[in-house]
Amino acid sequence: MADAVDGSLADGGRRGWAIRHWAGLRNGVVILVVWEFLGRFGLVAGGALPAPSAILARFWLDRGDYPEHVVATLWGASAGFLIGNAIAVLAGMLFVLSPVASRLSRGINIAIFSVPSIAISPILVLTLSGMAPRIVLAAISCYFVTMTATVIGLTQIDQRTADVIRAYGGGRWKVMRLVRLRSAMPVILGGLQVAAPNAVLGAILAEFGGGGRWGLGNYLLGSLGRADPARLWGIGLVATAIAGLAYLVFALISQRVTGASRAVTVTTSVPPLRAAGGDNTVAKVLLVAGSIALPLILWWVFVKALGVPELIARTPYGVFEHLFLLDSSPAARAKLLQALAQTLPITLVGMAAGLAAAFLLAVSSRLYPGVTRAFMPIALFTQTMPLIATIPLLVLLLGRGWSVTLWITISVTFFPAFITLAQGISMVPRAALDVPRAYGASAWKEMRLVSIPASLPYLFAATRLTVPRALLGVMIAEWLATGKGLGNLLNQSRGYLDYGMIWTVATVSVLVSIAFYQLVVVAERRVLGRLGMQTAE
Amino acid sequence: MNRNIDRRHFMALMGAGAAAPLLARHASAAAPLTMQAAWINDAEFTGYFTAIDNGYYKDEGLDLTYLSGGPDLIPESSIIAGKADLALTTPDTTIKAIVDQGAKFKIIGAQYQKNPHGIISLAKNPIHSPKELVGKTLAVPPVNVISVEVMLRANGIEPSQVNIVPYAYDPTPLIKGEIDASLDFTTNVPFTIKQQSAEAVSFLLYDFGYTIFNDAIVVTDDTLAAKRKELVAWLKASRKGWEENLRDPSVYPPKFADTWFKGTGRSIENEVYFNTAQKPLIESPKGILSLTEDSIAKTIDALSKAGIKARRDMFDTTLLEEV
Repeated sequence: MADAVDGSLADGGRRGWAIRHWAGLRNGVVILVVWEFLGRFGLVAGGALPAPSAILARFWLDRGDYPEHVVATLWGASAGFLIGNAIAVLAGMLFVLSPVASRLSRGINIAIFSVPSIAISPILVLTLSGMAPRIVLAAISCYFVTMTATVIGLTQIDQRTADVIRAYGGGRWKVMRLVRLRSAMPVILGGLQVAAPNAVLGAILAEFGGGGRWGLGNYLLGSLGRADPARLWGIGLVATAIAGLAYLVFALISQRVTGASRAVTVTTSVPPLRAAGGDNTVAKVLLVAGSIALPLILWWVFVKALGVPELIARTPYGVFEHLFLLDSSPAARAKLLQALAQTLPITLVGMAAGLAAAFLLAVSSRLYPGVTRAFMPIALFTQTMPLIATIPLLVLLLGRGWSVTLWITISVTFFPAFITLAQGISMVPRAALDVPRAYGASAWKEMRLVSIPASLPYLFAATRLTVPRALLGVMIAEWLATGKGLGNLLNQSRGYLDYGMIWTVATVSVLVSIAFYQLVVVAERRVLGRLGMQTAE
Repeated sequence: MNRNIDRRHFMALMGAGAAAPLLARHASAAAPLTMQAAWINDAEFTGYFTAIDNGYYKDEGLDLTYLSGGPDLIPESSIIAGKADLALTTPDTTIKAIVDQGAKFKIIGAQYQKNPHGIISLAKNPIHSPKELVGKTLAVPPVNVISVEVMLRANGIEPSQVNIVPYAYDPTPLIKGEIDASLDFTTNVPFTIKQQSAEAVSFLLYDFGYTIFNDAIVVTDDTLAAKRKELVAWLKASRKGWEENLRDPSVYPPKFADTWFKGTGRSIENEVYFNTAQKPLIESPKGILSLTEDSIAKTIDALSKAGIKARRDMFDTTLLEEV
């Protein structure tokens, strides 16, 4: 019976698929033709935007250079992907089995989630050598996505199957092995799907800065000095293709596996994971203190275990000392505060702009699906193209002021926020939508009265995603284009061999991200609590 | 449990990272020595590639490992961390680290007697001297801002009179006129600009008061004490490599097309241009890699203008005397 239902669904699905892909193909061709025209006649920024045919021609000339770079990038990204995801899945299982561990690791998880990769890359290059910085950055880029997916997958189980195991005397571990892991597979695979391109981009970023000869990041660096946008775009597009391919591979695997292990009925609620510590205030305080202390302890252990000399490495105490206890501390604080004063306002503006862009796009994707579909290829492209390859173009188009910073920030923030919001809007219950429809309300009115308020939890989830990326975007712009703020301070400290400041900027940028994140979490709990809504992951 | 797995991986990776370059080289009884370069493989380091491929280091009883550099890689960090025995650095950062952080470094030689860093502009909008920079937009890699500020002050210009923006090593904004000038190696970028059918003009910071040498050869005090013999051997072999390479700057870069320069994204013509242009900046009457009293005095003087208090005892010329 299930087969019959599946069969008819698949048929309708296939036709929908064909229509959607035909539209995508048509839009892709239109974009290519317009791009070719603009590039051919040098209409954008005095010819700084190369035509697709010029990029292809350049790629053909350079084809001998690519294989070794691609292999090196794949190597670093795959090793990081394996290690990062293995840790992420194990950590996710641990968090589900032990709520105390979950609470204790909250600080680490948020820190890993919000660390701006350009701040951590110099630290990794300082402390590790060879391929290690690339692998670690790739692993860090994977961890959070997969860990979250694992936790969600393991908790959203059909309680009845778990009850069966328990009734036969099975413990927590048996439930984990026989029920949770099996039903979590599709969600974990979904996580891996997002983690795969992240790993590629993480590896490339670490290659770019870290010395060594092979890797697309190294190739990009060597090519920058040639003033040849076609080469830069070629490398960027190859990186994009690898990231896209990695995404597709896991999408295919996920489709196969999901087909075999889909639950018969879908559970409707997320079981609460908040029981740890109970109502005991002392236990709660201890857990919070522990979750704050744990990242600091891990940081300390990392520095000590690697045996990095004190002159280069800083422990948490070393950063404190740099800012407060040395003769040079007042000067260091002044520099830091000046940089923060430049970075923070534009980060807030960028965050708001990124969210607004995502919101508008999500709303319009409901009202005008065609427009969104046309926009999607460009949107995907901005997510995987290494920014450094497009910086000359952006600077030529937008200058080196607020507009370029805002543009870069919006481009790194809007996409994950858009996906989350679109998901929220699409998950509004049909029944709720039928009311305004029955009264003949317009699509916009229906949006305003039902869909938007109903997807409020997703707006908060999107904001949480946006916060750390906004800081990352601003720091990238400062580093490459404007020469201000934290991004520039980090880069300049390298030239002064000011190791204390390098660690301080990395630390402060993580702390700022965490602070923003926590603010959103608090606001989210208040607002949703008052409205009687649940948080969305 | 998590942490253990984590650490074990780190350790394994560290081991793999350290062993990889060694495996590529034939193991021999020769004394191992590792050098950290300041940038990716380009003509700046041709002399060392020549010495390696011609077996000059081996002849001196050395088994040399060569590590390339990059923008996030601080060469001094490699010698502090013990990843390398000697590093090629910019002397201002090295000396600042000795003064400010008590780093125990000694400068034992210098590759460029004159620093190749200069201000590059287009011939159609030329900038021939620091005075002409006033009111213009100058792109400078953030790590080099300090050098430019010193040069400006030495010429009676306040840095605030020039609009300094970050330089991301791509000359496109200069060629398209978004910036008026950039700070880069004068031995390198004019070639790229010519390739884009424009003409470049440039002047060296060195010729306008910033009289420092560049690519200082830096070791830690510990290495100096423990590996003095090897360092002298390295200086000797490196000098031989540079002399051989500069005899005709167009000979060696093409030989490295499929080895040292493979896949760098740069062209061999570019490396030949670079190699030719750097010849007068490297050669010295006292022999290549020399540290003369005159050049030390000039470097100390230039750095003092930047507020960096260099002293004679930060330089050790006795190894060169043994070469």
